[in-house]
Amino acid sequence: MKLNNPELMSRLAAEYVLGTMKGGARRRFNEYLLDNRALREEVVKWEAHFTPLTEAIPPIAPPARVWSAIEARTIKKQTQLSAGNLKQNAAESSASKGLFQNINFWRNWGLGASALAASLLVVTSLGMLQPKDAMLTAVLEDQGVARMVVEQPNSNLITVKMVKPWKADDGKSLQLWVMPKDGVPRSIGIINQDGTTKISMGDMDSMLNNGTAFALSKEPRGGSPTGQPTGMILCKGVIAKMPAKNAAGQI
Amino acid sequence: MLTLVFQMFAGRANLPPTTNNMTDTTLNDRLAALLSRASLGDKNAFADLYEATKSKLFAVSLRIVRERHIAEEVLQDSFVKIWNHAADYAVAKSAPMTWMTTIVRNRSLDIVRRPNLEVADDDDFFQLNMQDERPAPPEQLATKRDEAHIVRCMKGLEGEQHKAISLAFFQGLSHTEVAEKLDKPLGTVKTHIRRGLLKLKDCLDGHVNEGAAV
Repeated sequence: MKLNNPELMSRLAAEYVLGTMKGGARRRFNEYLLDNRALREEVVKWEAHFTPLTEAIPPIAPPARVWSAIEARTIKKQTQLSAGNLKQNAAESSASKGLFQNINFWRNWGLGASALAASLLVVTSLGMLQPKDAMLTAVLEDQGVARMVVEQPNSNLITVKMVKPWKADDGKSLQLWVMPKDGVPRSIGIINQDGTTKISMGDMDSMLNNGTAFALSKEPRGGSPTGQPTGMILCKGVIAKMPAKNAAGQI
Repeated sequence: MLTLVFQMFAGRANLPPTTNNMTDTTLNDRLAALLSRASLGDKNAFADLYEATKSKLFAVSLRIVRERHIAEEVLQDSFVKIWNHAADYAVAKSAPMTWMTTIVRNRSLDIVRRPNLEVADDDDFFQLNMQDERPAPPEQLATKRDEAHIVRCMKGLEGEQHKAISLAFFQGLSHTEVAEKLDKPLGTVKTHIRRGLLKLKDCLDGHVNEGAAV
């Protein structure tokens, strides 16, 4: 059975952007967004429609400590661990002074303190072993030749680096997939044919948790029309997960 | 080295002292330029970007999360994301302020926790799940920069619809919360929002088509 209901998609996208969708419903919708390009575009459309309404909101200056914290986490980044959630906030607290004024941080302190110690230990030891503290990494090969490197620098981001530019192919798209244990590939997104592609998602972790490998397929322009790979698999590689991520995940 | 050259050339951008008019094309162009420099690691550009937008974005978040310390956290997380993803902006095809506001709103809506969490109609999700994923039509919509038609279209809504949609959007309220606030039955509020959105869609699509025809 295949329902074709653009009206429903549009309405749900509108409610998502409007903000009426919360908690579990919102998370579920975020998951649908990962797989459904038409739905993503519907959301982007509503975002463009609605955002100008915010012009009516009078500006309020945030305190200076916010910038200090942002600086610490970006420009003066001392640790690559990114804060997508409180668990990670705990791990990166040494880099973010603003966090110590953060009530949520203290609220979760009791819960996370021991794990913080554990994860800092792992981060420290990893730092000596690895040039980059990615949460996850995979080298995708084709017949023994490395073609691209996939890394997850933080919980919301995947970077894909081409070893050398892929030959452009009459308007086809390169689509990256994660292969979970259950064997049903899930789309990560369309990859640039050369250089580095960054793909951001709200909660990359939940998508990658069960992933065992990445694969790249050649698809019609704009991506697979079916939500599953339809073209040739060009290269693939097994996912190596970093212990730092596991330690943080056990909090 | 590249970054250094960039900084020498760029210096500090002279942003206008106030950011009252965010639809202003000049400002949007300037923000787009700052974003593009930030994506290359230009720290000054990133700092300027923050200065130019922080108060607006903080206010947007504060409306939704209501507590200052949470709004501060949202702003932090959002700018870390903006720094990490500045390069993605180029393909986002929306005005810079839209792109950044969306990041802030999404972060706010993702972390806001209130007792009356609402579960979406399961039927909706079921249907969505069964959706045939067709290739989308060519990109045509999000590129429009003059997006303030929403203001005009909002004015076309009936009073109750307008109220419900405004509450939901500005304060990030769920259906249940809007219902409480307006002291109306949940079903009524859902209907207002649903019908209001349909009306908005007609109004906005109409405008997009007009624009495309020109």
